[in-house]
Amino acid sequence: MRFSFSLQSFTGHALRLGFFLLWATVPCLEAATLTQQISPAEVNVGDTVTVTLQVQNSGIGNFRFPQVDGLEVVGNRVETRATFNNGSFSSTNVQVFYLQPSRAGDFTIPGFDLHTSDNQVLHVQPMKLHVLAGGANANPAPSVAATPPPVVSSQGPVIMPPNNQPTPDNSGNSADTNSKNIDVPLDSDGHPAKVFMIITPKTTDTYVGEAIPLRIEFYIRLDVIAPQNSLPTIKGSDFLMNNLSVRPYQDEVTMNGGNDEYHRETWVTAISAPKSGDFPLQMERDTYWTKSSPDSGNDIFGNLFFHRTPLVHGSVSSNQLVFHTHSLPQEGRPTNFSGAIGQFKVTGNATPATVGVGEPVGLHFAVSGEGNFDYVKSPSLATDPNWKTYIPKSKIEYQEETRTHGVKTFDQDVIPQKNGNLPLPAASFSYFDPTTKQYVTMPIPLPAVNVTGSVPVASAAAAPSGDSNSTVATPALLQSSELVPNRLGFGSLHQSLAPVYRKPWFWILQAVLILSLFAGFLFLFVRSRFAPDPTQPERTLREHSLHQQEDAMSEAVRRNDAQTFFLAARNAVQLQLGAQWHMRPEAITLAEVQDRNPELAKTLEPLFTQASEVIYSGQASSDLNLAEWELHVRKNLLQPQPA
Amino acid sequence: MEFFSLHSWPERPVTALLRSLGLTALILFFILPSVLLADNSDADLDTANRAYTAGRYEESAKAFQQLIATRGYSASLCFNLGNAETKAGHVGLAILNYERARYLAPADPDIDHNLQLARKQAGLDPNSYRWWEIALRIIYPFVGYIVMVCLLLLTLALIGNAYTPTLASACKISPSILRTGFRGIFFVGIPLFFLLGFMELSAIGFTNRIEGIVIANKEAALRISPFESAETVGSIPEGELVTVEQRHNDYFRIEGRNHHYGWIQQKDMEPIIAASFDAKSPN
Repeated sequence: MRFSFSLQSFTGHALRLGFFLLWATVPCLEAATLTQQISPAEVNVGDTVTVTLQVQNSGIGNFRFPQVDGLEVVGNRVETRATFNNGSFSSTNVQVFYLQPSRAGDFTIPGFDLHTSDNQVLHVQPMKLHVLAGGANANPAPSVAATPPPVVSSQGPVIMPPNNQPTPDNSGNSADTNSKNIDVPLDSDGHPAKVFMIITPKTTDTYVGEAIPLRIEFYIRLDVIAPQNSLPTIKGSDFLMNNLSVRPYQDEVTMNGGNDEYHRETWVTAISAPKSGDFPLQMERDTYWTKSSPDSGNDIFGNLFFHRTPLVHGSVSSNQLVFHTHSLPQEGRPTNFSGAIGQFKVTGNATPATVGVGEPVGLHFAVSGEGNFDYVKSPSLATDPNWKTYIPKSKIEYQEETRTHGVKTFDQDVIPQKNGNLPLPAASFSYFDPTTKQYVTMPIPLPAVNVTGSVPVASAAAAPSGDSNSTVATPALLQSSELVPNRLGFGSLHQSLAPVYRKPWFWILQAVLILSLFAGFLFLFVRSRFAPDPTQPERTLREHSLHQQEDAMSEAVRRNDAQTFFLAARNAVQLQLGAQWHMRPEAITLAEVQDRNPELAKTLEPLFTQASEVIYSGQASSDLNLAEWELHVRKNLLQPQPA
Repeated sequence: MEFFSLHSWPERPVTALLRSLGLTALILFFILPSVLLADNSDADLDTANRAYTAGRYEESAKAFQQLIATRGYSASLCFNLGNAETKAGHVGLAILNYERARYLAPADPDIDHNLQLARKQAGLDPNSYRWWEIALRIIYPFVGYIVMVCLLLLTLALIGNAYTPTLASACKISPSILRTGFRGIFFVGIPLFFLLGFMELSAIGFTNRIEGIVIANKEAALRISPFESAETVGSIPEGELVTVEQRHNDYFRIEGRNHHYGWIQQKDMEPIIAASFDAKSPN
């Protein structure tokens, strides 16, 4: 393949490459920064604690995690992330340590110095940890070593092994909060998997209807990356999931000690189980990746411009987790429990503080916290004859993508039925706390309302008399909040409210009318087509006579009988013209023809003259050529004449 | 000179019979409406109204229901029943009867006023008719009849056109005048027939939806499938107007506000046009 380069274009390319390298190098020249986190800060014995050290703009050198008596380091993970965000490039190196306390007490992980790869020194501050003795129900610690190797299919999709490792810290909001140990699965050829998916719930021990935040991470190796056109879905129907955002958080990560680079797409959502029992959760995604070929790297320009990389398509399954879903306890269930599960706070207020009887007081409740907000209903109001309550209207604002954190507000109108300083109906909100495994009922304090005025007298019907349809309504009343009083007459009565089109006779009558119209058209058409023609017999007779006269003409020519010929010829012409002019044949005379058609009269004149002469004299001239006369008559006189 | 005299011609029996029938029809034409109108206010109606005035709203509502059952529906009776149900605290039934009254008298401002008050009391949004809805609902019952008259005229004109000479000689009218008249009916009648037919079908489509009012106390459960054990996906407040889409035994699949779909039990709902649900065949 031949390419030609001009000096100008080469210089341009070189300059662009230089700018790019400069732009990409600038972050490396910036000072390294350290972020550290221990999560959670309070655990039970046997639980796993995650210590995350994150260094930005530099790599992390070798170091030893300080040993603390009672805290065992059970695993670690190194991760490098390169992200393009808002046009700027940044690299982050993350070192995660998994600790497991073996006894209760307060621990302090001492501070230490961390050397970066470019010889900067960062100081890690001491971190405190409180460990409780109640570790019987603690989640098992994630054990990197205990994780069985993933099952790898021959064509690329990776099926992760069962892995019930709930991450202790996973709010699901940020990709930076990833704290699990990712062991890159291997393909059948021993290479790191091209593509795989990992799901991480907040917990696998749940209650029916509880919203569980779930993090979904999809990894695809950079050398096989291809555009995707689908979203991850749940296998089976044992779980319900919130809609995923179409555009996930995307970044690039380095794994296996920097040997493998992956493109990662991350979604955060929430799932819930509609029934109790142990159910496996696994997700899948229809995925495309490029088919790598051994010589694909040799021809850069060919790959860039002329080579279309073949795509491979397959379904990628995630790791499978078994969820233990419990039914909500029946015991102690409040009557106003609506299915809300989580941790909530409720506030309420009422405005205005002073109203008239019959005027509405607006109650405003706000339920905030974490949980399944779909099941959060308005706080219930106790029945109070002094207040008439109306149906509340709700509005919700989620504070993060999983839709498990938010504020749901309720506005409800209540109307006082009497005056005085009335306390508002007692309000309360109930939910189930999965942490304490107990129902919680929270009373909502509401102020008393000063109600002024008196109870309005109910509008009454006017005394029956006079005008049958009259009411006592006035224009002022129509604008008011009072009912227009009763009518005093029956008005127009109907045995049924059914509209006329629902009655069969309505359609039958219309059908009959339409059919009769079409029948009328049909009748007229048939009649015009097949009606007998009254002139037909006369026409037939004339045609018959004409044929007779023509035959007589021919016979006369054969016998050279001029008298018979001219008599027949004149009769034939009269029959022909009589039929055309709707006249009796005998009435066609030369004078009549002269009146109607002078041109024709000139043509006919010799025939009529000759005929008269022959007929009246009884003799014909010897030089008469009857054959010529016959031809003349047939050709010129027996043809239809203009009207 | 006297050509004709009543006394000079003896009256034939057929003529006498026709004259008697005509007189009877005339009397009925003028007298019957008066007889019917005389029944417009009676003791039962007074009793129902007096119970309402005395604040015995439940009793008043029952009396109006009895009146409707025996006499039939009218905008006034449905309106009064709506008032009684409102005062009795049955907001769903009140809205149902106001809707029925509005169906019979779409342009009545009193009915609309009380209906909107009842809806407000139920926490529902106003649903007053716009001017074109009022016009459509007023015109709609007559469109079918106009179409039928149009068809009848066209049929008569067709037949008349075929027998113009006979008709002309019988009526002593010029055949050309008759023929022009018949052709005029055709030229006007055929486009009119299509126009009115389209209007009729549009009006039927507009009102063909079977609508019901939720009458369940406070709110009715909306289920994802037509079974009592089915999961509840929400609720429809009392008095809400819903459209019935499908029926399965004692459940209706309805569309509520904001395209909210689900199954609701028959006992929780009443059709505005009574007995409409019977026409919906089970699924």
